[in-house]
Amino acid sequence: MLSYVVRRLIIAIPMLLGAMSIVFFAMRILPGDPCLAMMGDEATKEALEDCVRHLGLDRPLLVQYADYMWKSLHFDFGRSIVFQYTVSSYILSMFPHTLLLVIASSLVALVVGLPTGIFSALHRQNPLVDYSSRLIALLGLSMPVFWFGILLLIVFSLHLDLFPLIGGGDLITVFDMIAEGEVFEYPEDFLAAIWDVLHHLALPALALGLTLAATVSRMARSAMLEVISADYIRTARSKGLHERLVIYKHALRNMMIPLLTIIGLFVAIALTGTVLTETVFTRPGLGKMLVDAIGARDYPLAQGAITVFTMTIILVNLLVDILYAVFDPRIAYK
Amino acid sequence: MATTGNAATVRAGSEPAAFDSEAYQRRLSGRRHRRYIPIAAGMLMVVLMLVCAVLAPLISPFSPSAQFSDYVLEGPGGRHLLGTDEFGRDVLSRIIWGTRVSLQVGLGAVVVGFLVGVPLGILAGFRGGGTEAIIMRCTDMLLAFPTLLLALIIVTALGGSLLNEIIAIGVALTPSFVRLARSMALTIKENDYIMAARALGGTPLRLMVRHIFPNAVSTLVVIATLYIANAIRTEAGLSFLGLGVPPPTASWGNILSEGRQFIKCCPWLTTFSGLSIMLAVLSFNIMGDALRDLLDPRLRGD
Repeated sequence: MLSYVVRRLIIAIPMLLGAMSIVFFAMRILPGDPCLAMMGDEATKEALEDCVRHLGLDRPLLVQYADYMWKSLHFDFGRSIVFQYTVSSYILSMFPHTLLLVIASSLVALVVGLPTGIFSALHRQNPLVDYSSRLIALLGLSMPVFWFGILLLIVFSLHLDLFPLIGGGDLITVFDMIAEGEVFEYPEDFLAAIWDVLHHLALPALALGLTLAATVSRMARSAMLEVISADYIRTARSKGLHERLVIYKHALRNMMIPLLTIIGLFVAIALTGTVLTETVFTRPGLGKMLVDAIGARDYPLAQGAITVFTMTIILVNLLVDILYAVFDPRIAYK
Repeated sequence: MATTGNAATVRAGSEPAAFDSEAYQRRLSGRRHRRYIPIAAGMLMVVLMLVCAVLAPLISPFSPSAQFSDYVLEGPGGRHLLGTDEFGRDVLSRIIWGTRVSLQVGLGAVVVGFLVGVPLGILAGFRGGGTEAIIMRCTDMLLAFPTLLLALIIVTALGGSLLNEIIAIGVALTPSFVRLARSMALTIKENDYIMAARALGGTPLRLMVRHIFPNAVSTLVVIATLYIANAIRTEAGLSFLGLGVPPPTASWGNILSEGRQFIKCCPWLTTFSGLSIMLAVLSFNIMGDALRDLLDPRLRGD
């Protein structure tokens, strides 16, 4: 088991370094001078030179590369050009919003997608269930999250006035109160802050979660179909076990293993989804920050955001691989 | 089990009819034909889109950039069937012209991904060893980026334009093609006819080009149909984020993102452009799904 974890780590490290190299070289090698892009064509020569020196672009490429890699591993991405914060402090303040959105939308996706996928797999002989579930899953796969988000906004925010149009809620207050131990002193304020956060979270989580549910439903369906044709299911049935017991005790438990491998992929999809979702709902977060940074040509900020996105995805994949071995010990010995 | 239970009740409940062979045959052929309905539906929509894209100058009622200052933000119906935007431009015409962008990027990106990814994948699968290790490690690295994020990085570096979008999404799709082609090459190269061709003195290049590729191409093309859907959705996403084809050009993502400011007064801007995106993605998804089931029912997973 330990050797398996080490082996996976050894594979993950070059992947991380490689992905970071791609980010670096995409930003540097491809045409487009960041300073010129940031300052526009009318910038004076001095200003451009100053900018080049500020970004350290006058150094040899390899030195820049080593510097970027070294600093990234220390979570140091330099300073934002538009805002005068350090990039890492900005990322840290945005990350909780994105994390919350990923968790909430994954919950929605699992709650909706898992039962429908399993149901459609178990009742696939019924053409009505089979066709309608496949059609709904296809509709969900084809629905762009940014359009679905706008539709939700039109109905629930504009017409019914049930949810806020923009923003991410008062997450900072929640954290501050927890950090300073004021939770029990002012429980009403705390609950109000949490309510505010959830109120802002509901629509984005629903939009992203429901579009992701189609993916989950498809995965769950094929995982269930794989399990249900296994020999131990036939054994369980032939020994006269009630169908419900066969499904709940034998099929569902074994279905979780193939499903787990897909979670890594799923997190990657969800993280990409946050870029679009946060933009639609004008919600603070890593994705919105990335888009804004690209729009403002704030290269250090964009580079930092992309690096953090990539790091997260690779780490999640590593974690899933290890979890997989925990659930299914056979994997570690292969 | 549920099915036997149903059959039993049906048999017990209905009149004991004689076995009608003709009706049975009819039902069977009906079931066989039913498989073609989704393909036909998907293809019909795809053809419709192609017609829209090719004949855009002829069938769109107005120029996509013509500004009718008297008809700013006009609702659907009347002279402008789907309404007008904030500059008084006809939304229907813009959507018809937007089909061009979506299809060009969708098809172009998949062609780029196919042309780069498939040769690399076949090479990796066929040669194995060091070649495979290098190609697959690079692929894994690229796969760490989700399609949209990778396309976002490339478009940021290159700048937004139609060609750059095609390149960006094409590169982002490449790793998937490499993986697919490699796994196909691995299976195909175990066949006896490969051994026979090799025994006849076929060079590795000849084996890959004349024997492995032709045997993989049908599956690859079917899967490529599904990637077109993915590419169109990614293009719309990039345009929506303001990183696609620059604004005066009509693309569905642009119309949607411009219409966002007017969702309160003029929801038709976002509704129709979003609907176009969804229908386009849906039709390629339906067609790809159905073709895949026809080609190899095992790929469906049941």
